[in-house]
Amino acid sequence: MKKIILLTSLLSGVLLIFTSYKLHAQCKQQMVYACATKGKSIYLRDFNTKLRSGKPNERTARWTVVLNKDAHYRFNLCTPEGYEDKVIMTLYDSQHPEKLNPYGSTYDMKTGKHSDSFDFICRKSGMYYVSIRLKEGVKVKKTCAVGILSFVGSTH
Amino acid sequence: MGKKGFKYILLIVILGVFLQFFTNGCNDDNDIVEIPKDLPGNNEKSNIKNREVVEQIVNSFPSPVEVAAIMKDMEVPFSKRYLADPSIIDNYDINNKKAFGLGILSADLGYLNVYERTTLIIEYLTAIKRLADDLRVGHFFDFQSFKRLATNNDNLDSLVFLSVNSFSNMNQHLQDNARGNLSLLMVTGVWLEGLYLMTQVYKEHPNEKLKELIGDQKIIFTILYQGLKLYSDDEYFKKILEEFKKINKIYSQITITYEKVEPTYKTTQSNIPVYEQQERSVINVREQQLKDLTKITSQIRNKLINL
Repeated sequence: MKKIILLTSLLSGVLLIFTSYKLHAQCKQQMVYACATKGKSIYLRDFNTKLRSGKPNERTARWTVVLNKDAHYRFNLCTPEGYEDKVIMTLYDSQHPEKLNPYGSTYDMKTGKHSDSFDFICRKSGMYYVSIRLKEGVKVKKTCAVGILSFVGSTH
Repeated sequence: MGKKGFKYILLIVILGVFLQFFTNGCNDDNDIVEIPKDLPGNNEKSNIKNREVVEQIVNSFPSPVEVAAIMKDMEVPFSKRYLADPSIIDNYDINNKKAFGLGILSADLGYLNVYERTTLIIEYLTAIKRLADDLRVGHFFDFQSFKRLATNNDNLDSLVFLSVNSFSNMNQHLQDNARGNLSLLMVTGVWLEGLYLMTQVYKEHPNEKLKELIGDQKIIFTILYQGLKLYSDDEYFKKILEEFKKINKIYSQITITYEKVEPTYKTTQSNIPVYEQQERSVINVREQQLKDLTKITSQIRNKLINL
């Protein structure tokens, strides 16, 4: 009986750790909701991810997004407290590479200034890329970040 | 309590933890349920490569509220005539039709949300919930919260959030469970309903900006058309592709060129940095092409929702 209890406890412990990891993989829905509804623009989609330093693919998350011509979009980045200057959201494509001259970013490479959002006025419909990454040199065990794409208006 | 009794209680607690894990322990806000492998939407031929392509297409597609948001921003008046009748779902007998219908009605729900026509929303919510349940993604659709928000009529932001979020969660779940074909049909429905809305509005309120926007849909259509071709061996997709050939014929005559432009906006606005693209597309679309596109889109949309 003791062995059964020990084995079951061990297994449940492992499962609980796994479950807990899953639960904290991405930002909570409450955080996504708060980030999506904080402005006056219309929420279109979110980019929710976990981040951790270590392997390069765990430092960055990427998504593709189709944007419409003559639309004024807003990109908001929300992170847990204390991570505001550790995470960067960027909009780019092959002609405007992420680390060279992206269309927009929450981090200004020239001034080194961080902002929690930026606006993009799209002049040609097409597929673009959005990345959320840990800033170069930042080491964190585990965190999450959520980017929000919203519609501000038409620029026709 | 004896030692033996304590052991039994401990065992029950541990079993409870297991039960919790296997029923909803993994669930965060996005419930995950086991999907039987023999579901009709489980296309065996959709290999990993196709799955990745479809995932990229579906995930990149504009939200169901975007076209409506653009229409409202253009100050186009609301009209119920543009919307599909939610009772159409009674005729949907296979998952493919249900997924396509879910897309059509989600676009309509987006339109109603953006225009704040909350009294009409319940009817659409009920139909969407039914389709979502049939596709086994109904658990992502919080009907009671929707109903409460629509009835209270006081929180448009929450309604839009819930609507878009439910749609993307359903989509993601279908992809995660090798049912990307259904996911693709959902975005096809959203896109077609959006094009239908734009062309119908143009018929009644013609303007250069909207004309350009309709022509510009060529880019999104091309991506979608390629995605649909991945499932060309499926009977339902074959029918859609047959119809979409007609749209493709018109769009292939519409040309898009690019030119450099000077930014017309300030670089900062309300402390938020504003980046404006320095290159713009020029859509070369003739009035006759637009008339043809309006007619064809209406025919295809009405045919497919009644298929």
